[in-house]
Amino acid sequence: MTQLSLKDALNKTLHHLMETDASVIVIGEDIVGGAGTNLQKSPDTKSGINAGINADKELSVELGGVFGVTAGLATRFGKARVIDTPISETAFVGMGIGAAATGLKPIVEVMFCDFMGVCFDQIINQAAKMRFLSGNQITLPLVIRTTMGAGDSSGAMHSQSLHGLLASMPGLKVVCPSNAADAAGLLKSALMDPNPVIMLEHKGLYTHQSAVEENLPAVPLGTGKTIKNGNAVTLVAVSAMVHKALEAANQLTAEGIEVEIIDPRTISPLDIGLILKSVTKTGRLLVVDEGAAFAGFADAVISLVSREGFSALKQAPRKLTPKHTPVPYAPNLEQIWLPGTANILETVKDMMND
Amino acid sequence: MDANQSLIYRIACQIRCFETAIAEAANSGFVPGLVHLCTGAEVLQATLCTALLGHNDYVTGSHRSHGLAIGMGADPYAVAAEIFGKASGLSGGFGGTQHLAAPDCGFLTSNGIVGAQVPLAAGAALSNKILRPGNIGVCFFGDGAANQGAVLETMNLAVALELPLLFILENNGLGQSTSSHYASGGVSFSARAKGFGLRTEIFQEKDIADQMVALPLLIEEVRTSGKPLFLEAFVPRLSGHYHGEEKSFTAGEKDMFDPLTALEGLLERSGLIQDKEGYDFQIEIQDAVARALKSATPETASLTLWEQTWQANS
Repeated sequence: MTQLSLKDALNKTLHHLMETDASVIVIGEDIVGGAGTNLQKSPDTKSGINAGINADKELSVELGGVFGVTAGLATRFGKARVIDTPISETAFVGMGIGAAATGLKPIVEVMFCDFMGVCFDQIINQAAKMRFLSGNQITLPLVIRTTMGAGDSSGAMHSQSLHGLLASMPGLKVVCPSNAADAAGLLKSALMDPNPVIMLEHKGLYTHQSAVEENLPAVPLGTGKTIKNGNAVTLVAVSAMVHKALEAANQLTAEGIEVEIIDPRTISPLDIGLILKSVTKTGRLLVVDEGAAFAGFADAVISLVSREGFSALKQAPRKLTPKHTPVPYAPNLEQIWLPGTANILETVKDMMND
Repeated sequence: MDANQSLIYRIACQIRCFETAIAEAANSGFVPGLVHLCTGAEVLQATLCTALLGHNDYVTGSHRSHGLAIGMGADPYAVAAEIFGKASGLSGGFGGTQHLAAPDCGFLTSNGIVGAQVPLAAGAALSNKILRPGNIGVCFFGDGAANQGAVLETMNLAVALELPLLFILENNGLGQSTSSHYASGGVSFSARAKGFGLRTEIFQEKDIADQMVALPLLIEEVRTSGKPLFLEAFVPRLSGHYHGEEKSFTAGEKDMFDPLTALEGLLERSGLIQDKEGYDFQIEIQDAVARALKSATPETASLTLWEQTWQANS
C-alpha cells in the first residue's frame, strides 16, 4: 500500500487506460491546455480558427486540465487522442456519445458539473437513452468525468453537487468517489461498462492523500463500502462528506458512540442492500450529502429505507444537506451552507437521545 | 442516365412506397403515436445513401428519417415493425418512429430532439477519423434545427477539430408550422456555415440531375480532405409536420414540385423505365409493412429484463 492523492490516482489510471487500449480517447476543455498558443509556429491567418487537431504541433504548454488530472496524457499519447475542444459542451459531449457508439471509448471531461446545464440534452436524452432506444444494438462505453462540491468560494455556478439530479435519469450510472483507490477503481469499471457513466470528483478532494494498492484495482459499480463499523447509527455519506463523517465518528467514539459509516461510492445503481443491512443492525439512519435538500440523493435513500426497512427503524430517518438555496459565495455563508462535522455530531447525539 | 440513377430511383420509390404504406396504416389507427413522413426528400436521401454504399460511414437523422434508415439498407420489415411498436422492430419497440437505429447498416440513429443528432454524427466522424480513416460522418437536419445551438456548435467544432463530417441541411422552409424566413436571422444558412469556415454547396430544389452527380463528389471530397463540408439542399415538404395533422402547413402551393416525379420523367425520357407500375420492389415494401403490422407486440417482461441488464454491467 502506498499513499496517493485522488488527482494522481486518476492521472495514473488515465495513463494506464490509454496505454492498454488504443480506442480510449480523452476529450474536454483545456485538458491539454495552450492549444493554438504555440508561438514557435506562426499562425496562418487564413486557417487560424480552424487549425485542427495539430498532432504534429509541439506542445509549448501542458496544463492538463484546470485541476491537472489529465497532465502528461497529450505528451505521451498525442493530440489525436487527447483532444482540447472549444467551449462547446453540447457539441463535444455529443461528439463523445457518437464516438462511443461507433467504436471509441471516450473519457469526456466536463470541467464543472454545473456546466452540464449547458449540455443537458446530450446527457439526459442522448447518452442516457441511446442504448435503450437502439434495443441494445448500440452500447456506450462512455465516461463523463466532472467535478462537484462547494467550499472554495467558487460561487453558485462552479460548486454544485448534481449527482442526485443525474441519478434520477434511467440509463445513467453515477459514481462519486471519496478517495484515491475508489476514484481509480471506479474509473476503470466505468470505462468497461456498456452504459454511460458519470463520475463526479470533489474539487476539495483532489489533493487528499489515501492508501492505494499498487495496481489500482477496479472497483465494481453498484457496490458500497462500510468504512467504519458501529451499531449506534448508520451514517450514509457521499464524497467529501465521508471525511466529515469520519471526523465526527472519531469524536463520537471518544464519547462512547460508535456510528457505522457507509460510503455508497456508486449513486446509481445504489447498493441499497448494504445500507439496509446496516440499518437492520443500528435502527437509525442519517444521510449526509452535499446534494439537493429537496428530492435529492438523501431523500431517495430515506425513501428506500423507509419503504424496505421500516420495521428495523427505531426512529424517523434524518438527513443533513445544504440549505435549499444556491451555493453562496461569501466564505462564512458557504461554511454554514455546507453540512459540517459539528452538524453531524449534534445530529447523531440528538438521535441517540431521541 | 446510368445504372446509378436507376438505383437512386429504385430506393427513392421504395421510400415513397414505404411512407405511403405507413400513412395508410396510421389512417387505420395502427400507428401508436404521431409519425413524421419524409415525403419529398426521397431523392436526396436515396442519392446520399447510394453514394455511401460500400463504406463504413455513419449517418444520423432527424425525426423525419424513415427514408434514411431504409436507404441505408435497414430491413423495411424491421423499420415498419419499430414504427408499429412491435417486438420484431429494429429496437424491439423501445424506440419508435423518431428513434430509429440501424448501426450495422451505417444508420446510427434518428432523433426526437431537433438538432441533437448533429453532435452525434461528429462523434461518428471522429471515430472514423481515428479508427477507419477515409470513412465519414453525415448528419441530416432541417431548417428548424439550423437555429439550434447544438447544430451551430457542431459546425464550429467540426472545423476546429477537422472532422470528416458532411452537414446536410434539408431546407423545406418549415420547422413544424413556422417558416424559416420568420425564424431565422441573417442572410442565409449557407452564409452562417461559411462564417464558421465551412465550405458550402447549395442544391436547388429542381436540379435533380445535377445533384445526383454532385453529391457523390461532395462525399468524396470529405473522404479525401478529412474536413467538414456543408450542403444546403432545398427539398419540398410534401406532407405535414406529422401525418394526419388537422392543419397542414406546407409551402402553400397546390402543385408543389415533386423530385420523385421529376426523376421519373428524366428516366422515362432516357428510356430507362417504361412502366413505373408494378415493380417488384414496391410489392416487397407493401408486403413487409403488412407483415410488420401482423407481428407480435413486445413481451411485457422486456422492460424488467432491460432494468436488470442495465444494472448487471452487461
